[in-house]
Amino acid sequence: MKKRHISLSVNGVAHELLVDPNRTLTQMLREDLGLTGTKHGCGIGDCGCCTVIMDGETVNSCLVLAAQAAGSEILTIEGLAQGNQLHPIQQSFVDKGAIQCGFCTPGMILSAKALLEQNPAPSEEEIRLGLSGNLCRCTGYQKIVEAVSDAAGKMKGGAS
Amino acid sequence: MLLPRFEYHQPRDLSEALEVLGDLGPGARVLAGGTDLLVDLKTGDASAEHLVAVDRLAELKDLDSAGGSVEIGPGVTASLLASRPRALAGLSALAQAAATLGSPQIRNRATLGGNLCSARAAGDLIPPLLVYGATLVVQSSRGARQVSLDDFLLGGGKTVMEPGEMLSGIMLDALPPMSGNAFMKLGVRRAMEIARVSAATSLTLAGDGETIARAKVALGAVGPRALLSPKAEEVLLGQKAGEELFATAGEAAVADASPRTCHEFKCEVVAVLTRRCLMQSWAEARGAAS
Ligand SMILES: Cc1cc2nc3c(=O)[nH]c(=O)nc-3n(C[C@H](O)[C@H](O)[C@H](O)COP(=O)(O)OP(=O)(O)OC[C@H]3O[C@@H](n4cnc5c(N)ncnc54)[C@H](O)[C@@H]3O)c2cc1C
Ligand code: FES
Ligand code: FES
Repeated sequence: MKKRHISLSVNGVAHELLVDPNRTLTQMLREDLGLTGTKHGCGIGDCGCCTVIMDGETVNSCLVLAAQAAGSEILTIEGLAQGNQLHPIQQSFVDKGAIQCGFCTPGMILSAKALLEQNPAPSEEEIRLGLSGNLCRCTGYQKIVEAVSDAAGKMKGGAS
Repeated sequence: MLLPRFEYHQPRDLSEALEVLGDLGPGARVLAGGTDLLVDLKTGDASAEHLVAVDRLAELKDLDSAGGSVEIGPGVTASLLASRPRALAGLSALAQAAATLGSPQIRNRATLGGNLCSARAAGDLIPPLLVYGATLVVQSSRGARQVSLDDFLLGGGKTVMEPGEMLSGIMLDALPPMSGNAFMKLGVRRAMEIARVSAATSLTLAGDGETIARAKVALGAVGPRALLSPKAEEVLLGQKAGEELFATAGEAAVADASPRTCHEFKCEVVAVLTRRCLMQSWAEARGAAS
């Protein structure tokens, strides 16, 4: 397999890497860049815990080749907080008890971020549909939905 | 789950992609959004020595409507189709099918071309394009040919494409005035649902606003491939639109579904989905008339 030379930006930092063609974006983020906030679950697009934002859109990073991400801007969960200041969605997840084991949380929060960017005041139904690509085995979803709704309220003031 | 080994190619434009595919022969596969192919490579349901990535090719993402015809690039994503772009105005069934395909993350990657070329019986974007009578442009480095979608699908995930060929365009006639169309699928959850049964319909009303001048009914996931129902069409043509007629058309559609996969429960669903889709198409057609 001929390695590919790629450059991309992750959380605002430029990277240049040599990757195997069959390396997924999940593997590259976790193993080459040490960004283990992005989780690896099912590997086939079902669970959403590998969700990252690629050029402004959520994707399942387990179904994107690292080579396909060349030239893109990737946002992972590590890129959300400003120093010690959590992003409002992160803070709402903490405040509302929307985190149990936490394995689904990075993906949930990134899906919530993409949803709120498109629809700053979603209904409960819209929140559930917006998060429909993210599975949680612990919470039963109710507190996650409440957290996203809480964050939407806080972010109306223009916080991003 | 790990991916097997393969070589990766990223052509800069369509003509380079065709050249690379031609040179590599049968061991090469086109990679678009990867939501089918990468899954199948991981599970061992597909194999490839070479992947030729076309997800960045701008030429495959064009949307165009002019003079009553519509052209859609195969690289257009489900998310874009679901956003009802102006060039695709009136193609409600396609927008509805795209809006309920997989999850937001899947829709951001999944392409129309990938859905057609995977050619699964449950591919959600296929029934809408069958009712629109879409024609596909299949291209290789030696030239292009046009195939109707109905002829393109061979069943069991197979298509008429040969090694070295790829799908480069999708063409259809814009629906005439006083038309409506719709898509529905039955699944267990509202999301991430590979359809158990799906239906797409379109209706065009005659000048009197009541008589059905043109009708198409397509079904998904009821046989080895998505199919049109000529029997339902026959019931509808020339008749006055109405719920009873649509129920009869639904029963007729059942007769066109493959009996081996259409067991009792599925048959009932086919009839109900067809009727509801026709009701929605009718409402849209009347809305367009007023
Ligand atoms: C979790 C999950 C949920 C899903 N839910 C749905 C659903 O609800 N409904 C549904 O219909 N599908 C669903 N799918 C399947 C898949 O997302 C769609 O079929 C999608 O449209 C495939 O497009 P793609 O761009 O990802 O194709 P790819 O995986 O890139 O390619 C699919 C096939 O088409 C070929 N191909 C792609 N583009 C071309 C081209 N231009 N020319 C020639 N060959 C080409 C590839 O070689 C490959 O064989 C789901 C998949 C996952 C993982
Ligand atoms: S690990 Fe990517 S969707 Fe489950
Ligand atoms: S908190 Fe454990 S999977 Fe969601």
